[in-house]
Amino acid sequence: MTAIVVWLRALPKIQVTFAVALLVLGFLITAQVTGEKPRAQYSTQERAPLIQTVLDLQTQQEAFKARILELRRQIGDLEAQDPGAAESLRQLYADLEDARLAAGLIAISGPGLAFRLEDGTTGAGVDALVSAQDVRILLRELWLAGAEAIDINGERVASTSAVIDIGGSILVNSAYLAPPYEIRAIGPPDLYDRLRSSVAFVDFVQGRIDRNGMSLSVAPLASVDLDAYAGTVNLRYASPAASGPP
Amino acid sequence: MNTRHVGPAHGAHEGGHARRIPRADALSSRLTVTAVAGLLGILAIGQLRAQSGAPALAGLSATDLTQLIANLTTGNDELRAEVADLEGQQTHLTEARDRGETTVDSLSSDLARIRAWAGLSPVTGQGIAIVVRGQIGGDGIEDLLNELRNAGAEAITVDGVRIVTGVVVAGAAGALSVENHAIGDAFEIRAIGSPQILTGTLTRTGGVIAQLLATYPGTQLTVAPVEQQTFPATDRSLVPSHGQPRL
Repeated sequence: MTAIVVWLRALPKIQVTFAVALLVLGFLITAQVTGEKPRAQYSTQERAPLIQTVLDLQTQQEAFKARILELRRQIGDLEAQDPGAAESLRQLYADLEDARLAAGLIAISGPGLAFRLEDGTTGAGVDALVSAQDVRILLRELWLAGAEAIDINGERVASTSAVIDIGGSILVNSAYLAPPYEIRAIGPPDLYDRLRSSVAFVDFVQGRIDRNGMSLSVAPLASVDLDAYAGTVNLRYASPAASGPP
Repeated sequence: MNTRHVGPAHGAHEGGHARRIPRADALSSRLTVTAVAGLLGILAIGQLRAQSGAPALAGLSATDLTQLIANLTTGNDELRAEVADLEGQQTHLTEARDRGETTVDSLSSDLARIRAWAGLSPVTGQGIAIVVRGQIGGDGIEDLLNELRNAGAEAITVDGVRIVTGVVVAGAAGALSVENHAIGDAFEIRAIGSPQILTGTLTRTGGVIAQLLATYPGTQLTVAPVEQQTFPATDRSLVPSHGQPRL
């Protein structure tokens, strides 16, 4: 042991530094290769640029959404400063604010619930991965129980929102969301009691969540903060009609 | 700690036995160490980015990633158009304010657009009609509506009832209802949007209609394009009564 220490001490510093650097290099290369292992079944050469493209598009999407929220806020401020203060204009502003609130274009707070939906351990014959269908069932039950507004991992659910599977994750409002899923809802104070009294919700928890070892936890909250919907409200095919169908 | 006694340079000077590193060798060693350190840095950054940026993407196949890219690209195109629209609106409002003009027309148009999008006012446009005949559960209809939204439907009705945020088609097969409105065994689902995209998405091989027909044998689902249709506004109040605007 002493001989080794003496030998090590006798080594030039540069060699020791070099050896340590190589050791770290080896560790990092191993980590990199190990990290790639789950992807080994696919062509790594093919996937790396795809992943980078996804990351770039997600960054772009976040920037667009932030810009949309900022512009809507600025437009709201401009409208409020409009020089015309006639009663008709004030009514128009009020209607516009109501419409934005109803459409989910304004961030809101209120009493509600926060759910956390997580994968279980997969095994033979066990479907323990949370799917878009599971999230949609929970949304449906929350709406039926009287929820007024909902978000999924921060994505506000609007009238045009779809929840679809993509690999083992989901897309909501074109945003890629990975599990665990946090679903938050604002609604009446007895929202959870209403939910628990639903046969379909109980069936979902017992027959889907519990049976497959998945996890669904819930926390009633005095105040839930939901961001505004940051997607498009442009209509390409529909236009306002004077009245409904005869 | 007595490491100061055994450093390479120190040892070389003291004993004269340790090999003195010539200048050229020392330079090349330094360059090698610098190169290794540079490589280490690149690898470390790559590792950190892979771990922090895309942990969930690791489980996606190339096909999933391609589908995700298509979805993100379409979504971003829509968001880009929305940004351009809002910037135009902001410029218009700013110029009008600077001129001391009121902006009634602009406000009215914005109001009409938001109300139509949210389902608070009637809308008209081209799209599709799906005739449903037979026994199908509410969850099946909800899957169909979800697929319509995914295909870009801008407005939807089920048996004449406008589908907006919070409205759900519920009930077992044969006992469907929407907004306290009972639905019979034959009814129509209508959507405004691109007839080609809506039809193509619903009727593709392995698509939602194929899945529903497998789950509910005996049910008939017929999709047809519609040139012009008008949907009523929702009866539901969408302004939250428990949630308040956050300042």
